[in-house]
Amino acid sequence: MSDANSPAHAPMEIDPKLLEILVCPLTKGPLRYDRERQELVSEKARLAYPIRDGIPIMLVDEARPLDETTKP
Amino acid sequence: MPGSETSLPRPFPPGEAGDGGRGDETDFGFRRVRAAEKPRLVGAVFESVATRYDLMNDLMSVGVHRLWKAALIDRLRPRPGETLLDLAGGTGDIAFRFLERVGRQGTAIVCDFTPAMLEVGAARAIDRGILEGIEWVAGDAEKLPFAKASVDAVTIAFGLRNVTHRDAAYAEVLRVLKPGGRFLCLEFSQVALPWLARLYDLYSFTVLPFLGELVARDRASYQYLAESIRRFPDQETLAAEMRAAGFAEVKARSLSGGIAAIHSGWRI
Repeated sequence: MSDANSPAHAPMEIDPKLLEILVCPLTKGPLRYDRERQELVSEKARLAYPIRDGIPIMLVDEARPLDETTKP
Repeated sequence: MPGSETSLPRPFPPGEAGDGGRGDETDFGFRRVRAAEKPRLVGAVFESVATRYDLMNDLMSVGVHRLWKAALIDRLRPRPGETLLDLAGGTGDIAFRFLERVGRQGTAIVCDFTPAMLEVGAARAIDRGILEGIEWVAGDAEKLPFAKASVDAVTIAFGLRNVTHRDAAYAEVLRVLKPGGRFLCLEFSQVALPWLARLYDLYSFTVLPFLGELVARDRASYQYLAESIRRFPDQETLAAEMRAAGFAEVKARSLSGGIAAIHSGWRI
């Protein structure tokens, strides 16, 4: 696992139209866009899906479990 | 991946082929693997071939894949303003053609299991000056990250073969399609003509892995491609599978003597 949560460059904005139809692949529930961390957060699944180079990675295996790392 | 691992074709008892992995095991080319393992194995193949994928398609099919993809868009008949979800569409071929056909008045969402393929596609889009109307999402066809009834059409070109549980993918396609939406699948099929089948076998198992070695330095991945094509159900079987999954008006159309086929179905 990488700890590359600090983007070196300005994060690419994700299209609001895409955000409207994206859901959590596990729960099909809504996602919260965390602009700072460049993640899409599924509260229901307790998973955060990374956005890399503007591409949402909606794969469960690539997601960060929310309850595992809440480092300051 | 060591070449020796995937380079030994192993015959299987009749009837076992192409069940898409209902039980614990599934096909990975001619090997049987644990179903849970297939996504990782397929991922490794496409990770490995991503940067040379388009060149290889041209070499492998002597450019014919372009005609097949054009045929897919002809059948799709997209209208301006529509949203297309292209599954396993990594390098953007179908999405670009869709946008061209609708005069860029539409949205193409490219969803692929392998992020490396999407990166190649996104770079190609920029090269072509396509900056709008296209979205790139890494996702699993069996667990789509899109809301229900959110797209007008779903396509999958040369991707269904790599899906572990096709039933799960069909259910997901039906979920994300709007009522009246259509699903089109372009995939390699079973060659019906005996002489063509022999020639095609020779090509697939001799020339193809050789080309893979030469161009992509990856014989094993192209051996997998050839094997996975042979494991895939014929047109009748695939059509029946789609009907059983709940698609309406399912039709199959053979391309190039059955080397490939387009299956279509509707969500009603």
